[in-house]
Amino acid sequence: MNAIIDPRSVQADSAPHTGGLAIRHVDKSFDIDGRKLSVLEDVSLTIAPGQFVSIVGASGCGKSTLLRLIAGLERQNRGDILLDGVPVAGPGLDRGLIFQDHRLFPWLTVEQNVLLALSNSDEAAADKRVRVASLLTLVGLDGFAQAFPHQLSGGMAQRAAIARALAPEPQVLLLDEPLGALDALTRLRLQSELQRIWLTRRSTMIMVTHDVDEALFLGDVIVVMQPGRIARILHVPAPHPRDRADPSLAPLKAEILSLLHAG
Amino acid sequence: MSLIAEFPPNFVHADRIDDHDPPPAWLVALVKRARGLLLPVLLAGLWHWASTIDASTAYAFVPLDQIGDRLLLLLSSGELAVNAGSSLGRALTGLALGGLSGIVLGSLMAGFPMVERLFGPLLQAFRQVPLLGWLPLVGLWLGSGEGAKQLLVAVAAFHPLLLNSYEGFAQAEKKHLEVGRVLMLSRWRTFRFILLPTALPSILTGIGQALAFAWISTIGVELLFGTGAGLGSLMHTAQMAGDMGVVVLCVVAIGLMGYGLNLILSLVRARLLRWRVTG
Ligand SMILES: Nc1ncnc2c1ncn2[C@@H]1O[C@H](COP(=O)(O)OP(=O)(O)O)[C@@H](O)[C@H]1O
Ligand SMILES: [Mg+2]
Repeated sequence: MNAIIDPRSVQADSAPHTGGLAIRHVDKSFDIDGRKLSVLEDVSLTIAPGQFVSIVGASGCGKSTLLRLIAGLERQNRGDILLDGVPVAGPGLDRGLIFQDHRLFPWLTVEQNVLLALSNSDEAAADKRVRVASLLTLVGLDGFAQAFPHQLSGGMAQRAAIARALAPEPQVLLLDEPLGALDALTRLRLQSELQRIWLTRRSTMIMVTHDVDEALFLGDVIVVMQPGRIARILHVPAPHPRDRADPSLAPLKAEILSLLHAG
Repeated sequence: MSLIAEFPPNFVHADRIDDHDPPPAWLVALVKRARGLLLPVLLAGLWHWASTIDASTAYAFVPLDQIGDRLLLLLSSGELAVNAGSSLGRALTGLALGGLSGIVLGSLMAGFPMVERLFGPLLQAFRQVPLLGWLPLVGLWLGSGEGAKQLLVAVAAFHPLLLNSYEGFAQAEKKHLEVGRVLMLSRWRTFRFILLPTALPSILTGIGQALAFAWISTIGVELLFGTGAGLGSLMHTAQMAGDMGVVVLCVVAIGLMGYGLNLILSLVRARLLRWRVTG
């Protein structure tokens, strides 16, 4: 029954075959003044191609570190991270990362910022510009190509950052509290847009958030973290596009909140 | 009236504002523009007054009409243009040579601790020597020709750009460099699109300082060496000949040209940094 209203099920034939992640027994610690600070211990997680995974957890429990390991910005001390069976050995265009602060380059216009993400593509310059224009349309930034970041609102800047991260067409998009700094209304709107983009793109997305409603609205899978470890992995059965009032979400929310308080 | 208009309203009794019509906008604009000319005109007036006291003050403060005659002469003979052009060329060449070396070395020192350890102490010591302190050695090596002058001007432009570009490149932020890594930017693109723009405000500040130093030292070495073309040399020769009108004209030309160079630079700066919040 669900298959009829769930566009992802409708498109099951075209379900992506790449963008699957296997995280196996990963440990990560940092050296602080010669002392070892253990941040992740024996973390294992399998993510299917095209899944939307939400990660929630108290601040400082290692969420960003986990994303940075997947992005290749940090290296784990033990364990493996495999993308479609291949170990992650550093950053790569098959993975995109969106930070909480948009991190656009203030000296480049919106268009130049997104174009820079295409600098490894050997397309003709004109084709790149066409691609950037369609990305800006996708994120709702038509008409802002020539604006500098300081001329944008927080929500618009984050949209531009999303366009930049999508430009190289990564199989896995990592989002580290991407909407955390936005006001409530903008947040809600961008959550719906993220869902729409995910349904169009069908790439794997892993989003860290401290907003349980946001996690439930977007995620197929919710990963609840407690300091250094994964406490529980929950599956959200509700179809996409998702109704915020879907009755199946309420008990999940209660469970997540109790886990967060326990941790 | 324009004075009243400039005070915040609560400074002035309301009835007094109502008594006057506001000055027309063009007049306000004109007065604002002309304000910078007020002191120069006043100075010229004082100068003229001093020149009329007696013969000895007339030698020290050359009468304005005499200066005007010299100006016409220098303009018609092309002497002013040739010498001003020569000084300008020398200053800009020195700025380019010294400034570029400063930027390159400064960026390398910021990027590679090795280079910093290697060059840092030497350059620190080098900086303590005032420009005039190099004169005997440079004279010995290069004589008093163009090479010597050019080298000294380049040295003057080198230090401000070394310091400012070092500081600028050292400001590169981890959060931006991480984006560069995630986007797999090449080394060149990381430099061109992250490091250089980060350093640009500092570099432009350095160019401003270097420009001033290069201009001052250009005139300085021309005055000291007294040979060849240049406003400094022209001034030197005029001073020897007791031609105070030309000396005064040289001073004015040097001041105006320095002012103009600064003005151009601030326009370039505003254009290059228009991405900043104030833009
Ligand atoms: N580069 C680093 N060096 C030292 N400690 C770090 C570093 N990055 C993160 N940490 C520490 O690791 C812990 C987890 O950080 P993080 O992954 O950012 O948590 P979260 O994103 O869940 O808030 C924190 O205690 C933080 O201080
Ligand atoms: Mg974090």
